[in-house]
Amino acid sequence: MTDAYFDWTAAQFDPARIFAKPEALAGIRVLDLSVIILGPATADFLGELGAEVIKVEMPGSGDVTRILGGAALFWQNVSVVFFAQNHSKYHLGLDMHLPEGQALIRKLAARSDVVIENFKAGTLEEKFGIGYRQLRAVNPRLIYVANTGFGQWGPYARGRASYDGLAQGVSGLTAITGEEGAPPTKIGNYIGDWYGACLSALGTLAALHWRDRTGEGQFVEVAQCEALLRAMDWTWLYAGLTRKDRPRTGNRDPVFAPSGVYPCRDGYVALVAGTEAELQGLARLLGRPELATDARFATAEARRRPAHAAALDGLVAAFCADRTRVEVEAAARRHGVAAAPVMSARDHCESAHFRARRSVWEHEDPVYGRMVEYGPAPKLSATPARIRWAGKPVGFHNEFVLKRLLGLSEAEIRELEAKRVIGKWADRVGAKPPDRWKGEGRLE
Amino acid sequence: MERQTGPGVSWYDWIQAAEDPARVSEQPEALDDLLVLDLSQGHYGALLAGTFLAELGAEVIKVEPPGGEPARRWGPPDVTLNGEGLAFVTEARNRYFVTLNLESAEGRALLRGLAARADVLVEGFPAGYLDGLGLGYRQLGALNPRLVYVACAPYGQFGPLARQAGPEYDLIDQALSGLLYVTGDPEGSPMRVGSWIAAYAQGAWACVATLAALHWRGASGRGQMIDVSGAEALMRYLEYSVLLYHATGQVRERTGLYELAVFPYTFVRVKDGFAFVAGYTDPNFQALCRIMGRPKLAQDPRFDTTIKRVVRENEVALRDEIQRWSINHTAEEILQRVLADPGPGVVVFGPVNPPTRVLAEANWWERGCFRTVADPLYGELTIQMPAWRMTRTPPRLKWPCRPAGYHNLHVYQKYAGLGPGRLADLAGAGVL
Repeated sequence: MTDAYFDWTAAQFDPARIFAKPEALAGIRVLDLSVIILGPATADFLGELGAEVIKVEMPGSGDVTRILGGAALFWQNVSVVFFAQNHSKYHLGLDMHLPEGQALIRKLAARSDVVIENFKAGTLEEKFGIGYRQLRAVNPRLIYVANTGFGQWGPYARGRASYDGLAQGVSGLTAITGEEGAPPTKIGNYIGDWYGACLSALGTLAALHWRDRTGEGQFVEVAQCEALLRAMDWTWLYAGLTRKDRPRTGNRDPVFAPSGVYPCRDGYVALVAGTEAELQGLARLLGRPELATDARFATAEARRRPAHAAALDGLVAAFCADRTRVEVEAAARRHGVAAAPVMSARDHCESAHFRARRSVWEHEDPVYGRMVEYGPAPKLSATPARIRWAGKPVGFHNEFVLKRLLGLSEAEIRELEAKRVIGKWADRVGAKPPDRWKGEGRLE
Repeated sequence: MERQTGPGVSWYDWIQAAEDPARVSEQPEALDDLLVLDLSQGHYGALLAGTFLAELGAEVIKVEPPGGEPARRWGPPDVTLNGEGLAFVTEARNRYFVTLNLESAEGRALLRGLAARADVLVEGFPAGYLDGLGLGYRQLGALNPRLVYVACAPYGQFGPLARQAGPEYDLIDQALSGLLYVTGDPEGSPMRVGSWIAAYAQGAWACVATLAALHWRGASGRGQMIDVSGAEALMRYLEYSVLLYHATGQVRERTGLYELAVFPYTFVRVKDGFAFVAGYTDPNFQALCRIMGRPKLAQDPRFDTTIKRVVRENEVALRDEIQRWSINHTAEEILQRVLADPGPGVVVFGPVNPPTRVLAEANWWERGCFRTVADPLYGELTIQMPAWRMTRTPPRLKWPCRPAGYHNLHVYQKYAGLGPGRLADLAGAGVL
């Protein structure tokens, strides 16, 4: 029965057929006026699902993620930080400080379904004349998405800038991560940017659902700090009831015992046995059948008592210590216990499983050549998400966007260039194409 | 909804009025045409998918086995509410709670009846379990071709490791995702994020995909199946890690308080705890040095370019320099100096708040991020509110958790035409 199921899912989600299937958000146009990660990732997630994304950047230098990091992060004249939130976009180099640039944005917004920005609250309206109230006047169906650290209004919205690391600290997420008594742990990725962007894409699609029903657009905002404090499960209920902070418990999940991260011969493995059935499996896995009938471990509540949890923890640690990660994972699986290797980027790149699911996505870009990136997270059977191409140098699609969408002539485009309203990359690392590039992938 | 729309009203005042948390209930709901079946059992990511859809207006029916689902026990060991775990109570909001024994024939028939009417079904069982009961997408999709069916599992529904995969726990997802590997001190072990962050990522992705699928259904009339792994949900947030390895052979390692990409961008000790500080572009770094009262530090040959500032030994030296200053001031004192700095350049600074301190800050309450509700069943609850502000269809909290089966009468009357007598019979037979 389950064999038939997995044969069926393999056919439903066959990665070889991704490009033979339609895209869920085909026909939705997103005007991405944002920089760094939170805003661009919001647009990127919609783009993975089929939306057409036009990314607007300052001519010359472009998005700052193009130049983030030391020499180790640079590849083919650009920082690798740039790519993960800038797939499959059309790149327009346009200066929004200039009135003619603003006029072009208004025209593009009139032809778009979604505008995304992450400027300081009010900037686009007050400085550039292209805020929500101005753009909805030219397009009442517009969904306008604003991403910030602290929101559009409220005591912290005035004057306080934010980055992901700040959101991690201010939200309380840092304070519940790590070992009790140790200095705070900075989470290793830009979690507030990415999770904030994911919520932002979700809010955008809810607004699109409403528009599909009624024709009405609206303003949607997500604040990075608020996204993270929304992602802290029982923290707030606990603090409200006890007036205490939840304790930091390192790698032990306070809800499940045993749970932890254990050194193996070739790295670390995570293991959890949260239910009674899983405890029975763990007893078999460890070769200690007596654990299955031990009163100390009979219920989840009993197992969580510190002394009992520590006893189990020691047995699991000893089991893992002289095995490899894959040995532990495979043995645990046979006994219905959850265990998994702590995977590095190399492990991801070499994972047959994640490659088969296109979560590790290999593609060939006309400008950058062969690339391996993280692919779309959700898998849709009828309208699979996809990466079409990689991020491009600043202004790479100026002609294509302005001719196709706004009907500008070659002469008008040259005039806008001469006035520096639009422009392409400067001859500098980050903005420009790879040295060996000879015009591949250009669109007119 | 449009209050204060005159041309003289500033953006700040206009948007504050348009998003006023006190007036949310005057507005319509984005998803109130949707019927969602939440079949999450012992699965937090699938539970959260239902939560987000319910916050945005969907009618979500949570189906539990008689006696309640396993996640009702999830929470910290020292505090429970009516014997239920805090993790469940806080995120089971806005639903209709019914019980149904899926292992009984009558139970399955009732579920098929609900699925025939539903727009969305979300489940978090081991891959293939519901299919084995005749309740997978193969069967329910045939019954209701418009159904969007979302399956959540750590290794997904296909691929070499999908079969016989173990249960989904957040720690397992964090390990597979690569987040665990890069979090923590380089000299120590990898460190888990304290909350169930993979479940939040999985729930959010499940909803993103669901709403995209519903948009496409509007054009095609067809539903589909969606497969969401919590590990991959979080992996997509690992930014450039796998590209860096592919492009340069470099494995992204734990950097603790330091950074590969930008610096300063770190936590430092302050008089009253820890705080975050960043100023990594040249003008921003110069602003930080000015605020520290050490403008010449910006010209120090170890720190005078963005590239030099991310050389690890320089990062360590620079963090020490900042900390020598920050340790003498409270976070609030430094924040006031940062806010008073006229520029050029922007320093980003804020405290590392423990949760009780977050709850003591008026900002979040004014913004409507938290609410204290006096619930007739569970007492006084401090609840985190929906994360989105929307001017036309704002999300909302309606009620918190309810006991298993609390809405049996209502839901089965409404969707199956079953009255109290018949329901009592079914309960007696162990179906409800």
